[in-house]
Amino acid sequence: MKIGRTATGLLWVSPWILGFACFTLLPLVLGVWYSMTDWTLLESPVPVGAENYHRLLGDDVVGIALRNTLLYIVITIPLLTIASIALAILLSRPARFQSLWRVAVFAPSVLPLVAMATIFKLMYDGELGVVNRGLGAVGAPTPEWFTSETWAMVAIILMNLWVVGPAVVIYLASLRDVPRDLNEAASIDGVDWWGRLVHVTLPMISPVILFNVIIGLINAAQVFVVPYIMTGGGPNRGTYFWSMYVYDAAFRYGDMGYASTLGIVQFAAILLLTAGLLLVGRRFVFYRGAAS
Amino acid sequence: MRESSGRSIGFVLLCGIAVLAVGYVLFGPRPTSDIPGDRIVLNYWEKWTGTEAAAMQQVVDAFNASQDRIHVNYLTMSSIDEKAMLSIAGGAPPDVLGLWSFNLPFYAQSDAILPLELPGIDAASYAPAVRPLVFDGDRQLAGVNTCSSVAVYVNLSHLDRAGLDYRNGGPPRTLEQFDAMIPHLSVVGSDGVEQAGFLHMDPGWWHWCWPGYFGGRLYDLETDTATIDSPENIAAFTWFQNGQRRYGRDALRRFQSAPTDNPSPYRNFLTGRLSMTIQGPWLARVIAESAPELQWEAWPLPGPAGSPDEPTGPIECDVLVVPRGAPHPAEAMEFIAFTQRQDMVELVSSLHAKPSPLMQVSPDFYFNHPNSSIAAHEAILHSPNGFGTPPVATWPELNASLTAGVDRIWNGDEDVATVLGEVQAEVESQLERARIRRERRGQRRFGVRP
Repeated sequence: MKIGRTATGLLWVSPWILGFACFTLLPLVLGVWYSMTDWTLLESPVPVGAENYHRLLGDDVVGIALRNTLLYIVITIPLLTIASIALAILLSRPARFQSLWRVAVFAPSVLPLVAMATIFKLMYDGELGVVNRGLGAVGAPTPEWFTSETWAMVAIILMNLWVVGPAVVIYLASLRDVPRDLNEAASIDGVDWWGRLVHVTLPMISPVILFNVIIGLINAAQVFVVPYIMTGGGPNRGTYFWSMYVYDAAFRYGDMGYASTLGIVQFAAILLLTAGLLLVGRRFVFYRGAAS
Repeated sequence: MRESSGRSIGFVLLCGIAVLAVGYVLFGPRPTSDIPGDRIVLNYWEKWTGTEAAAMQQVVDAFNASQDRIHVNYLTMSSIDEKAMLSIAGGAPPDVLGLWSFNLPFYAQSDAILPLELPGIDAASYAPAVRPLVFDGDRQLAGVNTCSSVAVYVNLSHLDRAGLDYRNGGPPRTLEQFDAMIPHLSVVGSDGVEQAGFLHMDPGWWHWCWPGYFGGRLYDLETDTATIDSPENIAAFTWFQNGQRRYGRDALRRFQSAPTDNPSPYRNFLTGRLSMTIQGPWLARVIAESAPELQWEAWPLPGPAGSPDEPTGPIECDVLVVPRGAPHPAEAMEFIAFTQRQDMVELVSSLHAKPSPLMQVSPDFYFNHPNSSIAAHEAILHSPNGFGTPPVATWPELNASLTAGVDRIWNGDEDVATVLGEVQAEVESQLERARIRRERRGQRRFGVRP
């Protein structure tokens, strides 16, 4: 009976298992193999052992891509977290046209990233530049977004804030789950709004914060489309990220073996960072079920 | 009871929709095709869109009408070199691929393209600067669709206004004379640069070409070594950096990102904010379309005093290849041979406003040509000083390293020799890896006979 139920269950999830095996597990295993080969794509792979991994250690471009990616992660994740929690709190309050505001915040997330990056490129451009014209109109300095390494990075990070919608929706749901009696008890004890936010609301939604931070980390570590379209990695590789190097090595330089090495290292780094966050989370995240 | 009848209606509806869908698939409309069924269909991937694609389509149509065995299907493809690589690796390439000449060393070294046998065509059929770009020794790797040389485009009204006499004296003969014109053409007001005489990075496509004007090269084919930090190249990029210093980095950034009503990459030249710019011959077509009132002329950019008299400039070709694994290689070569006919080459070159890559050119070609300065481009193409990209399989990687170095030189005040030294080290390690890769596979270097 039990075996029969297990078989039925497996049968129902078999399309997913098949998809996972074909499109995730197999490429991963093949990626590990290709990372130890010299493969131009146009010829058969030649095994070279750990040569690609040795090369990676002395590759200056790897250092640049790593620096830019880490910088992007370190700046983007706190910014995204603060912005999305703040928006979720604002949107959770009763207001006129509440649904409209919620749709407005989420809407950019359903647009293709390629289209958005193209639009933002035009907005930042001095030629059509809504951004610079707006800044100029209020007397603020108008940066040259894509000719300076610093401003190009800022442009990409700011554009990323535009797609906070999914995180906001998750925070909105979690805010509804915060027990009202806790907040009321805190109010009766004389705790002000900020105190309730820091000592009641944030601890209660901390598992959701951890989840969003992990998802944000995974996305930020793989950033590709926006810088590829907006800056092409320049100027002077100032916005050249790890995933762009993987792409270039594979499809522009015809070095699929090395690209696989870069991809495997990226995968391992994301895995380690996620594990690290989960470990840290044990200390700072409050799980109601565990507490009871 | 009501629930079960509702289910029955749902089931009947679902069956009805399924029957309709199956019926549509089996008996519905079919895509129509005007290709006669007995013809061999060649798939031809090309990078061009718009006017340039329409020009090539005329050649394809002429070929399809010229015989009754083969039909060429022209397909525009973006990022064509990357898709070509994947299609060849996957064993499903098209019959004919339109690439750039700088792609050839990588594809040739990997035996990913077939040597061509085109009746009546050999190296002597092409302009001297074109030959090393498409021939590996005596093996022809590609047919030449069009080719371009780069010249300096000049706004004549600006020259007249500045009192620069080019009509009697002719174009500048040395780079020093050219440089001396720039201050006369530059207008710097209290708000910054209003008009620039010449910019080395507008739109910045040709940053690899400057050493060529100073007698330098990026790579030495004989010794298979990078020569990025040679004295000639340091001199070239110092001149390049001085171009930025003439106006100042910040002023130039503001100038180059200032709003104009022309969105094209050549906007500063087309809107009269830039007096001289280096560009390919297609700029004539763009001017005719978007700034027909502009009075212009194109000249070969001269080298420094003491340089050879013959004109200098970079050259690139759009090429046609037959990829390994192409379903119909013999027919593909027949099509490429057709495209290399003088009348076809001249047709597409003329519609693209480019020079002909062939040695034999009909008088009508010049007479009807839409680029009134085509002679300047032809002169560079037929000069011994015309040069292409380095014939190395690692060119995309070399170019990426050089681009990053050029960005540093242009945007900063870094010492040119130091930057080029760092680029040299980066490129040397790329060439070393390419050497190891060739030895591992027993391959020969492109352009070097055994």
